[in-house]
Amino acid sequence: MFITFALITLLGALGMLLQKNVVVAGLCMVAAFFGVAGLFVLLANPVAAALQIIVYTGAIMVLVLFVIMMLSSHQEEAAAVSHPVQRWLSVALLAVLAFGAVKLVFASPGVKALAVKGAAMPQAMTLQTVGTNLFADHLLGFEVAGLVLLAAMIGAVALTKRNL
Amino acid sequence: MDKLASLLHTTPAIAWMVAKLVIVFGGVFSLAALWTWVERRGAAMIQDRIGPNRAALFGKIKIIGLAQPLADGIKFFFKEDLVPHDANKGLFWLAPFLALVPALMGFAVIPFGRSFVSGGHEYHMALLDPGNGMGLLYPLAIGGMAVYGVLVAAWSSNNKWAILGGMRSSATMVSYEIGMSLAVVTIFMTAGGYDPSEVIKAQGHLPWAWNIVRQPLGFIVFFTCMFAETNRLPFDFAEGESEIVAGFNTEYGSMKFSLLALSEYCHLMTASALIATLYFGGWQVPFMQNPPVMLSVASFLVKMLFFAWVFVWIRWTLPRFRYDQLMHLGWKAMLPMSMVNLVFHAWRMSQGH
Repeated sequence: MFITFALITLLGALGMLLQKNVVVAGLCMVAAFFGVAGLFVLLANPVAAALQIIVYTGAIMVLVLFVIMMLSSHQEEAAAVSHPVQRWLSVALLAVLAFGAVKLVFASPGVKALAVKGAAMPQAMTLQTVGTNLFADHLLGFEVAGLVLLAAMIGAVALTKRNL
Repeated sequence: MDKLASLLHTTPAIAWMVAKLVIVFGGVFSLAALWTWVERRGAAMIQDRIGPNRAALFGKIKIIGLAQPLADGIKFFFKEDLVPHDANKGLFWLAPFLALVPALMGFAVIPFGRSFVSGGHEYHMALLDPGNGMGLLYPLAIGGMAVYGVLVAAWSSNNKWAILGGMRSSATMVSYEIGMSLAVVTIFMTAGGYDPSEVIKAQGHLPWAWNIVRQPLGFIVFFTCMFAETNRLPFDFAEGESEIVAGFNTEYGSMKFSLLALSEYCHLMTASALIATLYFGGWQVPFMQNPPVMLSVASFLVKMLFFAWVFVWIRWTLPRFRYDQLMHLGWKAMLPMSMVNLVFHAWRMSQGH
């Protein structure tokens, strides 16, 4: 199962990068999101999987594709000037980022707990636990995120509607 | 159940899973096919016509035209399968499947009868057993996936009418999803759980304790949003025959068109099942504490088919909305109503404790 979902995710991501047609690339990204949702289910977190599909594939990617389809050209344009320096810089940054991420994952307590033999299986995440965690342990972060989203929403309305 | 399983050389769990798969997918699919006939007969009834009544089995047996879906199916299979010259061929082929698969998958989590115990095992009447952790988030997620069928069909046909239909319907679906989700969240809140079995249990067997009485405002919002989500009239902006030819399926013919049309009816079935589960007590039989299993299934079917009929009924009663009216209704009526519903029930719950 893990291999299936991991392959869907990786192939989707690869397809998104290599596909010249922007709409097909967007659909590949949807496939990748779907694979990630499957991985969440395997990690005993069905809530995250459902939210991943509702928010990313159900709303964000639809709007992105919506905008892409509105444009007349669906082919990727060649860059006017090539920037070799930027390319190498981005590769280097990506390598550093990937190294840091892998190191963080291996240092996390979750991975250490895997080595313990006979440890209890973690309980599957439910919506109730998510809610309690958000409002009890991470209240400040939750409120700040809410405020940021509100500001973004007001900004979007102000930008698109010139004469209020 | 045990005997049947040993006869087939499997465990009862696997036999029941296979049975459920056949019941859920086969049932929804054949009901959807049947509903194409119900729609046409219903339209005829409402418009004082006769409707399809000529199709006959072996040229003899005419059961009020009930063979019509079969005849349609055979005709669609034998039609020439055309692909427009400048269409994106791969996506054009993929789109009917992208439409059909989510439409069929959405039903999986809905319990269509009471759980029963046989030979020491407990059997649940839902494809995904209760406590799977996805609960009613699952149909919402799958409903969100349904947009892709329309959008991909619209874009890949490389046709102006198709893309207009696809754009309009995807905008509708995304805007109405918000009001719908808030109505469902209110139910999660009052039921104290988000698994369909918990929602049904919280409603009980007395009709005045069902959510339709407790949350009429939420029901109005959810019911309206279901029309937008299933792309049915008065909100069928994907097709809009009088405005944009046939919208997203202008270029589709033969079995591919049939799959797109069937997926709409599968959505209709899932939507009616959701309405029955969320607001009308699911499989609960009125005034009966522990109904027999078959009676509970019958009760669920009656409720579901009634709402499926209401979908047909409304289609031939109300005219199509204009696009800006639709957006006004979605954002300025449905969303605030849904919010009022949520805040009111949150306030009531806070007073109760």
